Amino acid sequence: MTKMKVRGAALALALAGTAISGALSAVVAQEATFVLTARWVGAPTYNPIKATKLNTATTLIYDRLVLQDADQSFHGQLATSWETSADGMQWTFKLKPGVKFHNGEPFNAKTIEWWVPQFKGTENAFTVEAIERVEVVDDLTVRFHMKNPDPNLLSNLASSFMCIPEPKSYQALGDKFGVSEAVGTGPYKLQQFTVGQQTVLVRNDDYAWASDLSKNQGPAKFKKLTFREIAEESTAYLELKTGGADLIVAVPTDFLPRMQADKSIKVVTIPGTELVYMPINTSVEPFTDIKVREATAFAVNQAEIMKSLYGGLGEVADTFLISSLQESKVDPKYKISYDPERSKRLFAEAGWKPGPNGIRVKDGKPLQVKFWAQNGTEFKRLAEVLQAQLKAVGMQADITILDSSTINSQYRKKTDHQLAVRAYLWTNADIVDWFFSAKRLGYPNVSMFNDPEAEKLNDIAMNKSRNWDERVVNFTKYHEYVLSQYPFAPIYQPVQLFAHGKRVTMPEKIRGSGLSSQSIVDIEPVN
Amino acid sequence: MLQFAIKRLLLLVPVFLAVSLVIFLIIHLVPGDPLDHIIQVGSSPEQQAQMIARYGLDQPLIAQYLRWLGKVVTGDLGDAIVLRQPVAKLIAENLPHSLALGGLAFLFSTIIGITVGVLAASFRDSLFDRAVMGLILLGSTLPSFWLGLLMILMFAVQFEWFPVSGARSWEALVLPVLTIGIGGTALIARVTRAAMIETANRDFVRVLYAKGLPFWRIQLRHVLQHALMPVATILGLRIGWILGGAVTVEFVFARPGLGSLLITALGQRDYPLVQGCLLMLAIAVMLGTLLGDLVQAAMDPRLREVMGTR
Repeated sequence: MTKMKVRGAALALALAGTAISGALSAVVAQEATFVLTARWVGAPTYNPIKATKLNTATTLIYDRLVLQDADQSFHGQLATSWETSADGMQWTFKLKPGVKFHNGEPFNAKTIEWWVPQFKGTENAFTVEAIERVEVVDDLTVRFHMKNPDPNLLSNLASSFMCIPEPKSYQALGDKFGVSEAVGTGPYKLQQFTVGQQTVLVRNDDYAWASDLSKNQGPAKFKKLTFREIAEESTAYLELKTGGADLIVAVPTDFLPRMQADKSIKVVTIPGTELVYMPINTSVEPFTDIKVREATAFAVNQAEIMKSLYGGLGEVADTFLISSLQESKVDPKYKISYDPERSKRLFAEAGWKPGPNGIRVKDGKPLQVKFWAQNGTEFKRLAEVLQAQLKAVGMQADITILDSSTINSQYRKKTDHQLAVRAYLWTNADIVDWFFSAKRLGYPNVSMFNDPEAEKLNDIAMNKSRNWDERVVNFTKYHEYVLSQYPFAPIYQPVQLFAHGKRVTMPEKIRGSGLSSQSIVDIEPVN
Repeated sequence: MLQFAIKRLLLLVPVFLAVSLVIFLIIHLVPGDPLDHIIQVGSSPEQQAQMIARYGLDQPLIAQYLRWLGKVVTGDLGDAIVLRQPVAKLIAENLPHSLALGGLAFLFSTIIGITVGVLAASFRDSLFDRAVMGLILLGSTLPSFWLGLLMILMFAVQFEWFPVSGARSWEALVLPVLTIGIGGTALIARVTRAAMIETANRDFVRVLYAKGLPFWRIQLRHVLQHALMPVATILGLRIGWILGGAVTVEFVFARPGLGSLLITALGQRDYPLVQGCLLMLAIAVMLGTLLGDLVQAAMDPRLREVMGTR
């Protein structure tokens, strides 16, 4: 009898234990922790209108009018359709019906009428600069009357800085909006935000207006998402390894081999939106000579760099734009790819003859240049490889390593750097304007590129394009001209790396140019 | 004693001014500025100039310093440029985390340091003395950044006893406390040991032995009491330094706190925030030193005489 009792009790305990652990795993499976690494740490606010830095969680709190996929196509999120007049002076958007903000307020044409003027005087004012006024046609139709055509409007609207906040709470909270509270229409509501530490989001159970980029058209799969900010990358990796985190947004390439070898971790790669390049200061000797610039650009062995430094992942770069942009499809004669013979021939034509120690000499002066790189292992190693490649064609490059803030302020002073290694993250051809416009000499125009023909083509591309197709044509021409003047050498396009643990399943395809709401709502718990 | 305390407190005013100037100059003379973090791709040069003017970054350095100092003496630390919140608010949110971490590390290093110091002095030159002091010295010479990662690898990854990082439970405090604590332990142990040995050689101790008092009673009640005086000064200094020590440790363990805040601010050259954080650390060091002096003065009236007050 006693034995029976004990057995019965043990059985009951075991059953209870199973039930409890089952319930626990169900609870655990409804929550996930994502880690934001160094590049994304320190976003100060979730106020998209006023922010200059936002992280992945922003796109979960708010929705945008349109979204952009990796192939650069646009898809409606809060807009169902849009059309533009032939002269590009009017844009009409139809809005999704039945959309509500987290606080129950409706989303409609009036929201947009209020929203656009909010950008005035902010750091993001340039995104809506071309809009003269917003007309409410009816409750779900809104028309932008333009000051001038802006074929880039959709691209701007798809940026996370154009997430749409709820007007009433935005007005009421003032500077606290985005910090203590943030109200949007997105699949998650902001529960708690500690700057630089973590953001806790809870699911918006009413969400039913995902874009066609998401497979999941209803509420998100996880009840709660925590975004932790961990700047120290080893710590972030160890959190994932031990199960303290479920996913790392943006894994540094350095960690790739370790993560690939780890059975508890799955690495996902998608094409990147970053381009690594070597700016050439066109305003100082010997690079005032276009032949020397061309010779330098053709001395860079992109394929070797990709293989030796980045494990063969990613793509080599042969223009100034990431290859998913239409404007990167330039005439092949403008592409810059490794050609040491061409490089040597051009150096000789420019009067730089091989001297002792293999370093070229002209008028008794050796071909010796200052080469700047910012700290961080990737850039340092890259600079060293480039140094060796340049030496092979007879150029001695002396490397100086500076930290990222220092290096930019030194560029701003238009100091006498000659070569450098840099990278940018951007998904629009207007980056050519940002880095090569004569309005921005020193920084960001590190190449000090100041060319009247380029300025003319820039003006046409930036201001005279009436629609997207025209803009593509104009930017391609501008891009081709800049390429022909060799103010830089393109190097490499890294991939984006994500890593996740065993508790989550990533969608087969990550939509958009990076991990954001359109794919996050498709991430599922593993049961 | 009160007079002594007031005098010491007044002495802090010029020190504070000097420290504030040094802090301001250090961060402004380091190359780099916060512009990269507030200027958007696509903004026009005019928009950028406006922004620079908004934060007063176009003013001469001396004007920027005086404006900042003027605000600081009225208790206003200004607004962070990149983080866009009042510096005082950010510090107030983060300081308690650092104080908890630093406080526990301080307790740890004080208790372990004094205990080890007393034991080492009592068993002077024994194997125990050498082994323990050697071990502690080794721990204190390891950079805290490295020691922290080592702790994570051993106790969080290998044994899975504690979480890797964060601040969500008390368990998450253990490894960071140990990382900071070990550094201070060696210093306190060494000072305690030396002071114990020195006191043990004094005449009054010999008298106590001659009277036949038991060894441990002499060591703990008489020798230790005298030996604690130099230890008090060291402890006072440690209060301030321990907050400074939290800087890298908070970063490694991804914990909120003044250290994490300072590292973020430094990376972004967020001048008002860097200045605010450094000022807090400097004040902590100053107050710690003052506290150490006061405790020492309270214990030893001769010191007050030396300082010219009774």
